[in-house]
Amino acid sequence: MLLYTIRRTAQMLVVVLCVVTLVFLLLRIAAGDPARLMNAPDAPDDVIEATRERLGLDEPIYIQYLYFLRDLLGGDLGQSFQGSYSVAQVVFAALPNTAMLAAVTVLVSTVIALALGIGAALTRGSWLDRSVQVYVAFAQSIPSFWLAVVLVLVFAVQLGWLPAVDFTGPSSFVLPVATMAVALTPILIRTIRQSFIETLQQDYIRAARARGIAQRKILLVHTLKVASLPLVTLIGLQSGMILAGSYVVENIFNWPGIGKLAVDALTSRNFPMVQGAVLIAAVTFVLVNFVVDMLYTTLDPRIRLKGAS
Amino acid sequence: MLRRKTAAIGLGGIGLLIFVAVAAPWIAPYEPAAQDLSNVLAPPAWDGGDWSYPLGTDALGRDVLSRMIYGARSSVLISACAMLIGATLGLLTGLVAGFFGRFVDTLIMRLGDIQLALPFILIAIVILGMMTERSPVHLIVVLGIPAWIVYARVVRARTLAEREQDYVRAAETIGARPLRRIFRYVLPQVRSVLPAIALIDLSHLVVMESTLSFLGFGLTSPHVSWGQILADGRQNMVVAPWLPVLPGIAIMLTVLCINLAVEGMRSRVEPRRRWWSTRWRRSGATRTTLDMATAASRPAVDELQAGPTPDDVLLDVRGLCVDFPTADGRVVQAVRGVSFTVGRGKILGIVGESGSGKSVTSYALLRLLSAPGRVSAGTAMFDGIDLLGVPERSMRRVRGRRIGMIFQNPVGSLNPVLTVGYQIVEAIRTNRDVDRDAAVELAEKVFRDVGFGDPPHIMKQYPFRLSGGQNQRVMIAMTMAIEPELLLADEPTTALDVTTQAQVLDQLRRVRDEHGTSIVIISHDIGLIGEIADEVVVMYAGEVCESGPTEQVLREPRHPYTQALLESVPRPEAGVTTELRSIPGELPDPTRESGGCPFALRCSSVMDLCHTHRPKPLTVGPAWSAACHLYSEDKAEVTQR
Amino acid sequence: MTPILELDDVRKHYTTRSGLARRTSSVRAVDGVSLRLERGETLGLVGESGCGKSTLARTLVLLEKPDSGEIRFDGRPVAVTDAASLRRDAQIVFQDPYTSLPPHMKVRRIIAEPLMIHRIASGAELRARVDELIADVGLPGTVADKLPGQLSGGQRQRVSIARALALEPSLLIADESVSALDVSVQAQILNLLNGLRERHGLTLLFVSHDIGVVTYVSQRIAVMYLGKIVEMGPTADVYGNALHPYTRALMAAVPSMEHRGRERIEVRGDPPDPRHPPPGCAYHPRCPIAQDICRVESPPVREWLPGRHAACHFALDGVSDGRNTG
Repeated sequence: MLLYTIRRTAQMLVVVLCVVTLVFLLLRIAAGDPARLMNAPDAPDDVIEATRERLGLDEPIYIQYLYFLRDLLGGDLGQSFQGSYSVAQVVFAALPNTAMLAAVTVLVSTVIALALGIGAALTRGSWLDRSVQVYVAFAQSIPSFWLAVVLVLVFAVQLGWLPAVDFTGPSSFVLPVATMAVALTPILIRTIRQSFIETLQQDYIRAARARGIAQRKILLVHTLKVASLPLVTLIGLQSGMILAGSYVVENIFNWPGIGKLAVDALTSRNFPMVQGAVLIAAVTFVLVNFVVDMLYTTLDPRIRLKGAS
Repeated sequence: MLRRKTAAIGLGGIGLLIFVAVAAPWIAPYEPAAQDLSNVLAPPAWDGGDWSYPLGTDALGRDVLSRMIYGARSSVLISACAMLIGATLGLLTGLVAGFFGRFVDTLIMRLGDIQLALPFILIAIVILGMMTERSPVHLIVVLGIPAWIVYARVVRARTLAEREQDYVRAAETIGARPLRRIFRYVLPQVRSVLPAIALIDLSHLVVMESTLSFLGFGLTSPHVSWGQILADGRQNMVVAPWLPVLPGIAIMLTVLCINLAVEGMRSRVEPRRRWWSTRWRRSGATRTTLDMATAASRPAVDELQAGPTPDDVLLDVRGLCVDFPTADGRVVQAVRGVSFTVGRGKILGIVGESGSGKSVTSYALLRLLSAPGRVSAGTAMFDGIDLLGVPERSMRRVRGRRIGMIFQNPVGSLNPVLTVGYQIVEAIRTNRDVDRDAAVELAEKVFRDVGFGDPPHIMKQYPFRLSGGQNQRVMIAMTMAIEPELLLADEPTTALDVTTQAQVLDQLRRVRDEHGTSIVIISHDIGLIGEIADEVVVMYAGEVCESGPTEQVLREPRHPYTQALLESVPRPEAGVTTELRSIPGELPDPTRESGGCPFALRCSSVMDLCHTHRPKPLTVGPAWSAACHLYSEDKAEVTQR
Repeated sequence: MTPILELDDVRKHYTTRSGLARRTSSVRAVDGVSLRLERGETLGLVGESGCGKSTLARTLVLLEKPDSGEIRFDGRPVAVTDAASLRRDAQIVFQDPYTSLPPHMKVRRIIAEPLMIHRIASGAELRARVDELIADVGLPGTVADKLPGQLSGGQRQRVSIARALALEPSLLIADESVSALDVSVQAQILNLLNGLRERHGLTLLFVSHDIGVVTYVSQRIAVMYLGKIVEMGPTADVYGNALHPYTRALMAAVPSMEHRGRERIEVRGDPPDPRHPPPGCAYHPRCPIAQDICRVESPPVREWLPGRHAACHFALDGVSDGRNTG
């Protein structure tokens, strides 16, 4: 197990390095010369040349890359183009807001999905199952950005019940979390329903019934323990989608997270900031999946113990 | 049927959308960019607007209907092209990665991991945000290329699975080269998963494209897209709420149609199975099929009822019928009027080939049939209890406690994520009134009885860490601990090696000898039944063709099927030179009801009568009966061909 | 006459990476097997699951590459790189009739594939040849236009055999080819294989876990245990008078009416984990006649009696003390 953790950690670090490299290259290729971007479009060449020297941009690209890596290790993501504050500070200030939004969304979605998914699986073909299926079909068809707009239109503009923008307290969570949960729950519900149905069909469930084990125990111990395992992996994989969802939601609800930061920075062509936001998002995703993977292996004895003698 | 309809609606919607997209220039009333500044923010027709602008106009006085139609054109064009790019790339890389494996696979899949780690939408925004003008081509490339990984993963997984199949190996042995194996053998199998993924991908792309437009990184003017209309409308949301709502509905309907089509496709690939629900519901809450079946079958049983069950009989099954309705409305009659008795302390063997209904019989007795299977007639009296008639609640007190069961797949009959110890203690405590410590002690004792040297160690193991033989011994140990009166053993040794099988059979014999448990052992192996059973029931196509004391039935079989079955088993004792008898033909179609003997088509002693009249069980000796017309008159002497 | 197939100390080891830590362990699936097949005979290869018999069968058609040792076909050493020429002479029929046929191809096409790949026939000639093969394995002509999914297990196995026969091989390997079938159908296929062997002068290597089936079809049998051949000899002799205690145990374990209430030769425990084979003779932990020497020294295969090989330190003791079942 220890050896596996080490191996897996090393693997993750390699992926992080690749991601970092890719972000660096992508932004260079997509954005072009940072020195030109930093200055006004009509700045004279000597000003640009000076900026270039100041930032070390006159060095060959691989030297710049090494500088970039060195700075990154020191936690330095560069300086913002606008104002003279550190990108790292801004990005790390925004990260908890996104994390909180994502965490509440995952929590709420998981609870809802477990309840609906298990309910539907146990009453296959009933009105409950059918209603859940209809919900799934509709919920996965609604584009998040539109739902956000409609929710704002109804609950904030027309009814005035909930705050539409800015973070003012717990009630600010309602609309953004609702928007993201509608996007996240369909796939969770489907997975739980499917995995429950499949688990219930296994020979060992039939065998447990043949041993006279009570239904409640079969469901809560024998089935749930196996059937909820795919959920763990799924949430890890969906963290990318949650992240993407947060860009849209944060922009509509004016939520001060990474997503809003990135889009704002992009609109104002503030490159170091874009780079910082992309990096932090990518690294978070890799980390989340790493944690989920480790969690999964501890939860499932079949993986934890396989082959060990 | 419902699924077909939804699929049709979905496909119809997609068709309509494509039509609108293609025909946009002809059906749109205005040019998408044409402005009518005298008619800014005109409401739609149902909200007091006039019919010249059915869906109203936007802040620049442009006709919303026309813009929606042209928006559909962009959506369809961009999504479809992006999908094709992604699908092509993904199919090729997935096939290559899955088929060749090794470093090619590692390289491609790691690349995919890294790409998945990048927040795609942000990268797309960065790239598109750098462009001042964005045409459909830009969006197609930016959206299409990253989609490869979705296809590649699925295709790779399928390819890996198919590559290991014997038919691909067989293709290699007949000399097919790798390319032929990929394209002629693997691809046709893998291809079937593509339409569903492609459609799901398509719906993602539709949403993604409009999201980008909404955020201001989509198509630039003069191109129109739904996301753009929505973003524009958002500015005037308060005065003209229909502006953001309309494009949203268009997007939603599009995605919904695609999802419906996917659902339809899935249900065709994988027919809906209704396994659990009817069985799981508590009886009493609803009338279960079981209750209805037993009620309906009473008259039929009366005919068979020759009298009360004698005292030395523990289980008395009469006229048991089990049906499996199929999806297309036919009914498979898996068990057709099976009757037998199990004496106290006896071992009864049920032997038959696959499709004979022998396993279904055992499931039916414990009411563990998988839906849609149902008992359609018969009774099963177990020590005064009608197993097929009592409510589920009473049945739960019978299962495990009074009738134990062990299954063909020993590893699969224990929960993989719970330890063996947990499961045996749970079983003991469910069925016997003992505390935890006593249960653990008892578990260790029975584990020692079935030959485990170190019971505490075994208790800590998960089932997959033990071999098949060890798992089956755990199952037998559970039986020994609970001491039911009857044990149903369904092919208990089929999955085991022959030397392990011998040990398990010895254990079963001890269960009977030391605990007095009656056993019903079900097997396809007539030799095994011959060795262990006191009495034997030979089943063919869901019917009992012969039953009686094992020694007599297997030494002088009366039914032609029993004779043929015995002669078609190659046995070492028989020596090398003997001719092996085979039974010509195959099992009859279980969905078809035949009036005659089910074995008639394969029987060597067949008479005209056999095709038209179903033989009734006839007594051919003490406690010995055969269902064959050969014995219907004075033909008891005709035993051999 | 040169034997059609000779194996000389063939080994195939797998390095399995198991568990999370990717501990590597080596499984000696085939651990130094030497045997020879005479032209026209049927050799039965019998053993329990995991003994390496299927790996050996696959090695012979080069689906697996042997790690060491030599395979000679018709006296010529088989080069691993030259699979094509071997494959026209040696064909294999797999166990599972449900996975060994491509589900999307019609029967006619499946049987025609080898002929097309090797450019042996085309057009009307191809059609005629396929029809001939279908008739040869006892299938009705109507199956030609069906998909494998529409056929029964026995019919599918006949199609597999027809495909293998298309290239007119001289050696046919049947890898558990009847194990998945019901006994009545199994008997049909066994009789078919016997008939084909006589009609086409085939040499047959019949691999199975079922000693009853093997003794029925084979003139000679070889018994494998944990990657090694422990006994080999003419079927009647081995059956009546086995030299290796494992062979005796295997035969005694077959359940049968004759065994009712009879003392069995006790086989203790489960087959060992092939990743950690016991030292000395691999069978010693389960062997009723094991002595000290068996725990340390692995017995070599020796020809104890003419034509009869066994790997046991006490091969002849077992015979003399009357422990046999025959």
